[in-house]
Amino acid sequence: MARRPVNPPAEGWSLTIPHRLWTELSAHLFPSGGGAVLLAGHAEGARGPRLLAYDLITATNDTDYIPGEYGHRALAPSFVRDAAVRARDESAAYLAVHAHGGLDRVRFSSVDTASHERGYPALRQITGQTVGGLVLTPHAAAGDLWLADGSRTPLAETVIPGGNLLRLRPCPATATPAGPDHDRQARLLGDVGQETLNRLRVAVVGLGGVGSILVEELARLGVGTLVLIDDDTIEATNLPRLVAAGKDDIGLLKTDLAARNAQRANPRIRLIPKATRVEHPEALKELALCDWIFLAADSASARHWVNATVQQFLIPAVQVGVKIPVDSAGYVGQIHTATRIMLPGDGCLWCNRLIDSTQLAIDMHPKAERDAARYVPGVPAPSVITLNTLAAAEALNHFVLAATGLHDDDHDHAAVIHRPRTRQRDLQDPRQDANCRWCTPAGRLGRGDSGSVVQTATL
Amino acid sequence: MNTLASAITEAVEAVRAQFTGHPVEVVPDGTGGVFVTVEDVSVGPSYAPAVTWLGFQISAAYPDADVYPHYVGPLSRTDGQSHGPAVQSTGWRGQPALQISRRSNRRDAIVDSAALKAERIRRWLADQ
Ligand SMILES: [Zn+2]
Ligand SMILES: [Zn+2]
Repeated sequence: MARRPVNPPAEGWSLTIPHRLWTELSAHLFPSGGGAVLLAGHAEGARGPRLLAYDLITATNDTDYIPGEYGHRALAPSFVRDAAVRARDESAAYLAVHAHGGLDRVRFSSVDTASHERGYPALRQITGQTVGGLVLTPHAAAGDLWLADGSRTPLAETVIPGGNLLRLRPCPATATPAGPDHDRQARLLGDVGQETLNRLRVAVVGLGGVGSILVEELARLGVGTLVLIDDDTIEATNLPRLVAAGKDDIGLLKTDLAARNAQRANPRIRLIPKATRVEHPEALKELALCDWIFLAADSASARHWVNATVQQFLIPAVQVGVKIPVDSAGYVGQIHTATRIMLPGDGCLWCNRLIDSTQLAIDMHPKAERDAARYVPGVPAPSVITLNTLAAAEALNHFVLAATGLHDDDHDHAAVIHRPRTRQRDLQDPRQDANCRWCTPAGRLGRGDSGSVVQTATL
Repeated sequence: MNTLASAITEAVEAVRAQFTGHPVEVVPDGTGGVFVTVEDVSVGPSYAPAVTWLGFQISAAYPDADVYPHYVGPLSRTDGQSHGPAVQSTGWRGQPALQISRRSNRRDAIVDSAALKAERIRRWLADQ
């Protein structure tokens, strides 16, 4: 199949479709040409407002998708009404979807546009929500949004976070040539790939042994904006595992060291340091504006809040961890590193039993009481820079290839487990609980600001 | 910013219903959750005093997070013995307290709700 165009992130309104919904939608639309409605939540984004698709209602051909009065086929009035009632009741955007022929380019026909002008003002009135149309080919997407405030705007891009992080536009982006600094890298990633990295906003949660390596490499790759989250300061025992750290840095915030390293690697980088725990509202707010999250903090609360952000705001993430079991007698068990790809709507850390709810309760205690609450006091876990590097490298390579569309398989999002003592590398598919309250349409998937992670109601 | 998730507001209401007739103090924990203290809770004749307060945090991560641990006012055993496992002297919110560490294994958010777990903790302590 022809290589799909790589499109850097675009300014303006965007729609994000979880990979699993996209797969279902593609099977329904291509090549037979069915109709469907997407329901979507809302969120602010770094480049403009975002629509977050969380459920797909497919129209059954012949009953719900019928020959229209004005040409082609159209959604049956009863189907439209039922979907619109759901949009109204769930405070969701309503997007009617159909497909056109062609591959790299797509636009609405005059018949499409006329039908939008006839139908959407009334539909917007009924739902009180943003309504609109989306037309797709396997490589391109165009949207016509009728906003709740009465205005009308085109959709700048449609994002599908899968094994590759796809970005579809009405026609392929033209690249500005990469600067000479990144010439060697752009020979693989392409100028559009390099520009993609530059326009991405990436968070690193946890700036310890793994996070420090992630920041150094992300900055050198040319990622344009980094959000750095960690409330810790540097201790003498951290120095062997922190990039470019010296004795003078003891007592310094880990965010300050990470910012210094990132700045040196790329003087033009934009940095947003947050020296707080990830559950702090300011950190969560910054996370929700990102295109990608690296989770390199090994606490239940970091896992929970990043998992929540991934699902609720449809932001892909990678969790990076290193497990070195050494018992009190010095016996060394199976060392493993885990690089888990967290795709919205496709199994989550709760479904995969990777968060302990009691540990989470303890983590949420005020600092002064956290250690006592643990009951059995913790001992420091072993940590070795080479093992951190192994896990970090796996996560970084996954990110670069996903962002520039270079993975062979859009569907592959298996976790990678390295067992260095036996030199094994295994893939592990995530599982999903049917009614997970985070990663399914029955839960917070794609609910964005309407069910914000810090979901608020006045006491 | 005194705003709370609806799950926490509902959990607090359930605690008030569970302990009808007892004063229940609710204080924001500063990160989107609350500290709850139920007054005049009976812990039975094994303890002096036999009535004390029961406190716990319902964090912003509730109901995904367990409610753990629980705290009661300082108690001594009327049989003169020391406290058994999972009960230890500590402090909670600046006052002396006993910490009760009972995790909910294979936690079910309904069975192990803040209200039901608080009552189970009270009974468990009374039975020791
Ligand atoms: Zn059309
Ligand atoms: Zn899940």
